[in-house]
Formats: sequence, C-alpha cells, structure tokens
Amino acid sequence: MVRANITRAVTDVLKVMLKARVEPAAVAEGGPGGEIPPEITAQLAAPHVVGSVGFVGDINGLVYLYLPRPFARMATCHLLGLTDSELTDAGEGAVTDAVGEITNMTVGSFKNALCDAGFPCMLTIPSIITGSAISVESVGGTERSLYTFQCSGHRLVAAVLMKSNN
Amino acid sequence: MPKKILTVDDSKTVRAIVRKTFKSFDCDILEAGDGVEGLSVAAKTMPDLILLDITMPLMDGVEMLAKLKSSPQLKAIPVLMLTAEGGKENILKIAKMGIRDYIVKPFKEEVLTEKVSRIIELKPSSEGAVKIRSLTDAAAILVVDDKPAIVQQIRNGLKHTPWVIHDFGTQAAALDFLGKSACDLIIISLSLPEESAFTLFRMIRSNPKTKYTPIFGLLVKTDTAPMQHAQTVGFTTLVTKPIDMLELESKVAKAMNLDVSARYFSSEGETLVLHVPESCTPAALTEISTYLKPKLADGVDCGNNHAIIDVRQVKALDMGVIKLLLAAMQTCRDLGVQYVVVGNPQIIAESKGFEETRSWVFLDSMDAAKAKFAAPVGV
Repeated sequence: MVRANITRAVTDVLKVMLKARVEPAAVAEGGPGGEIPPEITAQLAAPHVVGSVGFVGDINGLVYLYLPRPFARMATCHLLGLTDSELTDAGEGAVTDAVGEITNMTVGSFKNALCDAGFPCMLTIPSIITGSAISVESVGGTERSLYTFQCSGHRLVAAVLMKSNN
Repeated sequence: MPKKILTVDDSKTVRAIVRKTFKSFDCDILEAGDGVEGLSVAAKTMPDLILLDITMPLMDGVEMLAKLKSSPQLKAIPVLMLTAEGGKENILKIAKMGIRDYIVKPFKEEVLTEKVSRIIELKPSSEGAVKIRSLTDAAAILVVDDKPAIVQQIRNGLKHTPWVIHDFGTQAAALDFLGKSACDLIIISLSLPEESAFTLFRMIRSNPKTKYTPIFGLLVKTDTAPMQHAQTVGFTTLVTKPIDMLELESKVAKAMNLDVSARYFSSEGETLVLHVPESCTPAALTEISTYLKPKLADGVDCGNNHAIIDVRQVKALDMGVIKLLLAAMQTCRDLGVQYVVVGNPQIIAESKGFEETRSWVFLDSMDAAKAKFAAPVGV
C-alpha cells in the first residue's frame, strides 16, 4: 500500500505541477536495517535539496523527498515561470520554498489516501535541508523505505519513515 | 474596478503561482503568509475572494476560517480552500464551515481560474486596453477549419497585415493551442464534423481566459440552420464563403477594437489628408464618419489648419459618398479648417448631376492642392 501510494503521489504532483513524466525505479523497502542500494547511496552524494513533511494522527510518519539540485532549480523555474538567470536573481530561498511546496503537495496526496483508508492524520509544516550526502537514519520503532523515480533525466528519491506500530 | 483576491498561504511558491495564474486578468492579488496576517489584510482591504491554505504557522486556515465566519464584517467574503489537506472527512468538515469551494493541491492553473470564475467575474486584464491598438500592431488569430484551401485563402487575404494566423483542423488541437497560447480572435468553421464548432465555442466561452475573445463563425450562405444556431449562442459575427477578404479584415479590425484611422487619414506637413477609398462599403463609410471629427480636431490641436479631401480613388458618386463628403466639409468649416477636394474626371463629371454637389470645386491633383495651401492667403 505504501509503495503504490507514494508512487501515485510523486507521479501526480510532478505531472500536474511540472507537466513531467515520472517512471518508478529502484525500491528498498524494509525495517530499520534495510539495505540502501549502493547506486542510491552514490547518487545521494551529489548536491540535493531535501524536503520533509510529517503526518500525525492515527498514523504517524515522515516523508523525505530528495531532489537533485539541478532538478530542484528546473522545477522552481517551471513553477514560478522564471528563467534560470531570473531564479539566480530571486535567490536560493525561492528554490527551498518551491521544494517545500512540492514536498507538501506530495506528502499531502500520500496522507489523504491514508485518511480515506481510515487513518485520519494531519500534515506538519515542511522543512528543507540542502547539501550533499544527506542520509536519514531510522530511529527506534520506525521503518524506512526508499523509492526512486526517474524524471526529466534525474533520479529522485522518496524516503518514507513510518512508526512500526502503524 | 479590479477584483481583489487575497491568497493566504505560508508558501511563497503557491502565492507566486496564484499571481502568475491571474496575471492576465483584471484583478489585484493580495498576499498573507498565515491566518493572523490573512485576517488583518482581509479587514483592511475587504477582498472579493480569499484563497485559503490550511496548514500554516501561527494560525492555520481552519482557525482563520472560523474567525472570518464569526466576524459580521468579514463573514460574507467568499472563501475557496486551496490546500494539500484533502481526505473526504476533512473536506466535509471544512465544507460545513461555509466555504464556497475546495481545491486539493496539486492543482492545474486552469482549474483554479475556472473555480474562481464561478465565484467572481474575471475579466481580461485592462493593461492592453490602455493603449489603443492599431492596424500596425501584431495580433494572433486562430483559424479552426479542416479545409486547407479555406485556411490558405485567409492566410493569403490577410498576409499584408501584421496578424499571425494559427490554424488547426480539429477541436482538440485548437483547445490544446488555446491552453498554451494567447489569442486575439478565433474563426471557427461551422461545418466541422459532429457539431464540434459549437462544442468548441462553449468550451472557449466557459474558460475565463477566452471568455471575451471574439469568435467568428465561417459558413456557406445557404447553411441557414447552423447560421441561426450560431447567432443564437452568441458568435461575435458570421463570415460567409466565398470569403470577401476586405469584409473579413474590416470585421476583424472592428472585433479587436483596432484604431483603423490610418487607412483613411494621414498627415502631410500642416495638412491632414482624408483618403476616401475605392471601395466605399457601408462599413468603410461608417468607419470614416466615426474618425472624421476627432481626427480633424486632433489635427487642429496639433497646428494642422488645412485639409485635403482626396476622392481620386472613388469610382462612383453615390449618396453614401456624397453624405460623407458633405459631413467632412461641414466639419472643416465648423473647426475653421481650410479644405480642398481632389477628384478624378469621372467624379468631377458626376458631381454636376446632383443638386447637392453641383457647386463643388475640385482640384485634379494632390500637387495642385498643396500648391493652393502654399500660396499666400487670398490667392
């Protein structure tokens, strides 16, 4: 259910907001010790803008969306109707805000399906991290699954962390 | 007066998308980053509509909505929720609080304009209307016809204009184009299969972006049923085949509200010249009459105290032309403008046959007219 739900959410948001085609790629589902495929680890070494939004209620969790920096800039330009040089003038804040909103929409779509399945919950406010080799470790009692997607020549990663008792 | 839309969202990106979405409409976009600021801006500006997010810091959208609805001053402002918070339960709960509509993110810009236009009237931006467009300004015309020969006739007939013709053979292709591009006028063949001309017309009219775009229907004169149907549903005008290109050009200019005075009036030094065209159709005579007084008055204002009424191109002196020339002469006299009439032998001869024109004095060339004005007063 989580895989189908996150795949639909990522695909819908990027299709509607960026008019982009998304193809699901590698998946690493599992518990706290789940292996991260080496190619994902290698990819995440490059600069990324990472958005995260949580959901709290009858079900609790957190979704991280890793967007390669060039993709994040391209997506921001598309959303705001800017050229790359206009985006440079607008500043880095425009990129982080846009990634926050893409993550918010994605996790909102993911969470709404959970609500309709009988697990009412609310979204938290988005937060953003930028940098290279960002890795998210599961805390105790949390399961982490990684889903990757191909979009416009870039690989995006969605990390879904859910409490084990969910 | 422009409509005021207040977008309350903690995401600058969403607020920028809202600004971008309504850029082409005559409305002011006001912004607030949370519920507290949203209430304050709403109280100060009394917007016509509020687009409200739910998940925000300080005060979320649900709390702001509750405060809004409990305020006698603000409760009548319609609210459209624009939020990532969906789920049937959530939507039902918020709907009971008195919202007008609900959009779950992600959203398409056209869905937003469509839902907003159901609540407030959206008109195209008046930015373009400030500058009156003329015959020399570029414009985009969409022709929807599955007959390449007709499209080619229109292209050839309008090729001397700065108007760009885009043509598509199907309703779907035309709608796809309109979704991506702006268009100043649309010509639709009423003989498209399965009445798709009328379906297309309805879809164009239901889109706030194209609601006021002039739409011409193209048909054969004997197609009375579609002609009546088109007139009933509100096509701007109908153009019959075979197409009279002069008539089409005139209708296009009129529908786009273009200043066509350059066709008939020019300025040479201190002299204003009125060129009466060869083809004095009723439409052309009306156009000239419309511009006559303002153009002569503008000329006087700019120091042009002479006018030449040039009828050399006119083939016959009928009542329409006579009335126009009488009006032109009278306007010159009223404004204190010295005028001469330049004619051709045919017109000069015909003028002797009418009571109203018998006394007219014609010059036979533009040079003679200019020389007359150049001569000292009294010569």
